[in-house]
Amino acid sequence: MYLPDGYTTLDKISENDDYAVYDLFFGPNHPGMHGNFGYVLDMVGTEILRVRPNAGQLHRGFEKAMENKLWAQNLSLIPRVCVPDPDPNEVAYCQAVEAILGVEIPRRARYIRSIVLEMSRLGSFLMGMGGVGGALGHYSTMYLMMIDRDLILDLFEALTGGRVYHIYNIPGGVRRDIPDGWTDKLLELCDRLESKLPEWDRLLYENPVVQDRLGGLGYISAEEAMSSGITGPSLRACGVKADVRIDTPYAAYDEIEINSKLSEGGDALARAVQVRLDFEEAVNIIRRLVKQLPDGDYKLDLGNISKLRVPKGDAYSKVEASKGEFGYYVVSDGGLKPYRVSVRGPSMPAGMYLCHKHLRGMKIDDVAVWMASFAICPPDIDR
Amino acid sequence: MSDNILARAGKMHGDKIECREKYKAQLEIKTHRDYVLNLLTWLKSERYVHLSFMSCIDWIEENEFELVWHVFSYESKNHILVKTRLNREKPWMHTAINIWPHVQPYEQEIHEMFGVYFPGNPDLSGLFLHNWLDLPPLRKDFIAKDYSLALYTTDALGLTPPFDDIDIVEITAEESRDGE
Amino acid sequence: MSLGERSFFVPFSTLANLFKKPETIAYPKEDLDVHGVKGPSLKYRGMHANDHDVCIGCGNCSTVCPTAAINMISTGVNDAELTGANAQRPTVDYGRCCFCAFCVDACPSGSLTMTREYIFTRASEKESPLEELIWKCDEFTLEPGSRWSENPGWQCHGEETWLDLERSHMEHMTPEKRVGSFIEFVLGFTKEEALREAARCIECGICTKTCPANMGIPEYIRGIYDNDLEESVRVMYETNPLPGICGRICTHKCESVCAISHKGEPVAIRWLKRYAIDALGPDKVAEIASSAKEMFSPSGKKVAIIGAGPAGLSAAYYLSTMGHGVTVFERMPKAGGTMRYGIPAYRLPDESIDNDVRAMAEMGVDFRMKTRVGTDVSFESLRKDYDAVLVAVGFPMGRSTRIENHDHPDTGLAILLLNQIRLGEEIPVHENIVIIGGGNVAMDIARSMARLQKVKYGKVSIILTCLEGEGEMPADNEEIEESIEEGIIINPGWAPKAIELDDDGKIKGLKCARCLRVFDENRRFNPKIDEDDLTFYPGTQVVEAIGQASDYTFLSEDDLAAMGHERGRFKVSDGMDSGLKGVFIAGDIVHGPDVIHAVADGHKAARSIDTLFNQG
Ligand code: SF4
Ligand code: SF4
Ligand code: SF4
Repeated sequence: MYLPDGYTTLDKISENDDYAVYDLFFGPNHPGMHGNFGYVLDMVGTEILRVRPNAGQLHRGFEKAMENKLWAQNLSLIPRVCVPDPDPNEVAYCQAVEAILGVEIPRRARYIRSIVLEMSRLGSFLMGMGGVGGALGHYSTMYLMMIDRDLILDLFEALTGGRVYHIYNIPGGVRRDIPDGWTDKLLELCDRLESKLPEWDRLLYENPVVQDRLGGLGYISAEEAMSSGITGPSLRACGVKADVRIDTPYAAYDEIEINSKLSEGGDALARAVQVRLDFEEAVNIIRRLVKQLPDGDYKLDLGNISKLRVPKGDAYSKVEASKGEFGYYVVSDGGLKPYRVSVRGPSMPAGMYLCHKHLRGMKIDDVAVWMASFAICPPDIDR
Repeated sequence: MSDNILARAGKMHGDKIECREKYKAQLEIKTHRDYVLNLLTWLKSERYVHLSFMSCIDWIEENEFELVWHVFSYESKNHILVKTRLNREKPWMHTAINIWPHVQPYEQEIHEMFGVYFPGNPDLSGLFLHNWLDLPPLRKDFIAKDYSLALYTTDALGLTPPFDDIDIVEITAEESRDGE
Repeated sequence: MSLGERSFFVPFSTLANLFKKPETIAYPKEDLDVHGVKGPSLKYRGMHANDHDVCIGCGNCSTVCPTAAINMISTGVNDAELTGANAQRPTVDYGRCCFCAFCVDACPSGSLTMTREYIFTRASEKESPLEELIWKCDEFTLEPGSRWSENPGWQCHGEETWLDLERSHMEHMTPEKRVGSFIEFVLGFTKEEALREAARCIECGICTKTCPANMGIPEYIRGIYDNDLEESVRVMYETNPLPGICGRICTHKCESVCAISHKGEPVAIRWLKRYAIDALGPDKVAEIASSAKEMFSPSGKKVAIIGAGPAGLSAAYYLSTMGHGVTVFERMPKAGGTMRYGIPAYRLPDESIDNDVRAMAEMGVDFRMKTRVGTDVSFESLRKDYDAVLVAVGFPMGRSTRIENHDHPDTGLAILLLNQIRLGEEIPVHENIVIIGGGNVAMDIARSMARLQKVKYGKVSIILTCLEGEGEMPADNEEIEESIEEGIIINPGWAPKAIELDDDGKIKGLKCARCLRVFDENRRFNPKIDEDDLTFYPGTQVVEAIGQASDYTFLSEDDLAAMGHERGRFKVSDGMDSGLKGVFIAGDIVHGPDVIHAVADGHKAARSIDTLFNQG
């Protein structure tokens, strides 16, 4: 066979009379891979025999870096832990700091945080749903959803000054109040997003190709999902009513009605449908939040924030992100900088553990779809 | 939704554990290394089925590592931090993969980042770092700045300055810290 | 959820999009228009703009930048000549900046903003690689002299800032309560309040340059913030041996330039100093103060200091840390000078002076109290017996307006009355008093008299009038406000004409004329009076507080001439040496009445004396 210079064949791992096993690096260069992450797949034909996750290509040492920065400075790093859904990180970190400080933030700040979280969820779901479409080769879905995601980013830009990394939360609240007329635009956007749902249903969920490709893929039972650290929509897709917003209410969620619907089935199709259900509910939650948005301060006066000193102690704070439970375990030794920040990302259990079980025997074409259905996002594995 | 877990834990495990309520729905149980697995098994049987993740803290002044298991119950909605301390000189901990198999990558990560050894964990190979020869990087005695100042010099990278007339000033670790 | 009908054809409904207007735009030919204006939102965090005339070079932007993208570069101006600013300006390196806008939120002057400008990916515009490099450097660093400021994005006005604009609470006695006694009424910070106040400082050092003694203000505030009071006090003693006194009565020029004062209230530098001294306790303070002495061995030289006021004490402290023998001659029974015999006890209690002086006595400074140079010991003999003499006599005498009837028995000079009050002597207090003068001494006597009136008559009836108009009065604002709170009526902008007497020869009040301006165009004292606009302030006692004078009777005419004496003050070189060999001058008689200036003078004089000794 002719190979141009610099190209290599796959490594042959072993061989017997019937078949040979090859090593395939399914990494960032693969169009179905979500970022800088990789699986080394041992292949027999197109079937996977064994998988070795290859993390570390995006490792930025955030947990170490956060120990060397002031409490507030860390907020410029934190959204980068999850690119499509950055705000849960900011909120979780701020909540942990506030818990150690023992302060209660103003009610309006809690509402604004919730609004921002839901918007971030919508943006991330659009990327996630689009990602499922993309992994299946349905690129129009992806492009159409990116348009709507951009409209959400426009609103983020008007509120926070940044499109992708908002750096909007600080210990004590948020950095700026909501500008005039912004909530009206937000409600308009909610209407538009809701009106788009039928189109997406037609494109994705009623599409027989999607249904057949996703149905039965990556099945996980409720009991197994619960005890292997699966959270968020993936867990709800098994019929488990678990949602951090309801179980451990934070921000304004104790005052807001959340009517999560559950899909059932525990497979990739159920997970995709669950995301769509959650999306619809998030739009409604935003409407409720805007309606109940109270007046008052948008932040608590904590003094000079760049000289914030947090008393000795530790706290774990978690947030329901679009992919599941995002948590920050923050330890302070009473100084100007955190002693340790430990991040719980939602992608680790599926991406690093379930992959061993699920990918075995799977066809190579399904790997990207499986990853998209579990919303495995490398930046929170590689912090 | 309280399930009185602390009271029951106290009754069940007596003086082997030390527990308190930290915040609303956030509890803390401290125990000895050899008792952790018993405690985790008991907690799981008490429907604390969700092991959220594991973290490790380097208390360098006390010469100890602290391991924290974060467990959560979907029924009582309590979050429990199970903590234990390890000697920093020879840190090792029984693996918990028989209770929660997905703890494997967390232990692997802690092994890589702190050098805590988990006998019984089938794969403690490097996860994130490639060709790493230095101290485990999340240890407090690993100073990231010194590391990069030592590594990213033109000499260490085998580079020669491209232009003769550019002065390359190399800052030593001490100088750079003085400047802070 | 029940999925809709499974149909192979439904996805084709997407084709409808083919007939819609595209959602994408061709940037940069067209731009988005979703925020009411073309381009990014009005809060966009784009490239920085910095107004270099407003920027004070504090460097806080550089401190808070999480990516170390900001470097402070020198503007080439001599830093020491600037007041209220440092001679440096930030540059932003866009290779590092993450556009978080923390720098903007932390900028105390409000000069730094972000704009709606951004760099988008585009092909290089340059042909040669070198030009390309220069272009990139230009594009990726924000040089001083800001671009883009006409396109503002993220701004920070007032309350959004990271800074703490409000002073921490400090407990004061209520005016009703404090006017009844001479007890100190500012109660001082508690630990929490002090920590919170110390955290407000951004450690820019702008105040240090303005402080006459160049105290290491950010350093000692940092010591308080780190709860390391010993370090804090050690820093204070490097430049000021009277921190307990200055922590109470300093004119705090530093606070007027504090970086935080641009948007909010300045850091309460003075009260923080007081807190550190009070919280550490006099024993510990004295120990720290004398520890500086251990560095030098005794030199065997002797210095005589005339006057135990702030300048004399300061010089005494530093001379003795340098290992020289020091003798202080003071005509009053206790050390402190104007601080003890001029400033009322409600502002500066005796213990504070005693504590600061005690540190010096413990270091071996020899105090000769009740010894008047000129009568008890002659100036000539001092010059003969000592290796150097420092004249720091201050202004112990009052000045008079010399208006009609100024020598009536029911008039008085503020400084002398204050002196008597401090000595515990009974002074005449009438029911209605008029005070002339608008400086701090006038406030001191007014408020002291108010206290005496309150005790004697149960009420306060004092009218204070001065030449300077409202807002021009030389007294500190706090003093003026507190006086008004205590019931003193202040009528600024009047020039005293005559003290009018009734038929029995008793004072009946003060006649004044409107004062239109105090200083002329050249900032020279040259009041302009409108003789037609007259007013009359009734009262049976008049106190003049228009200035102080010194007493140089111990010096001969020749000495005075040799020392460059001119109209009550001395002109000296930077080294505080007079024309006479071995004679130095410091304090109020050089720089006018101000404690912290006197302390600075004392330190300077000590250094020059030391240099003189070292030279031979
Ligand atoms: S923080 Fe503001 S005032 Fe201070 S140096 Fe920076 S730009 Fe200038
Ligand atoms: S925007 Fe943020 S990263 Fe950029 S210079 Fe300012 S503080 Fe530094
Ligand atoms: S007291 Fe004010 S001027 Fe002085 S260093 Fe602190 S912030 Fe700057």
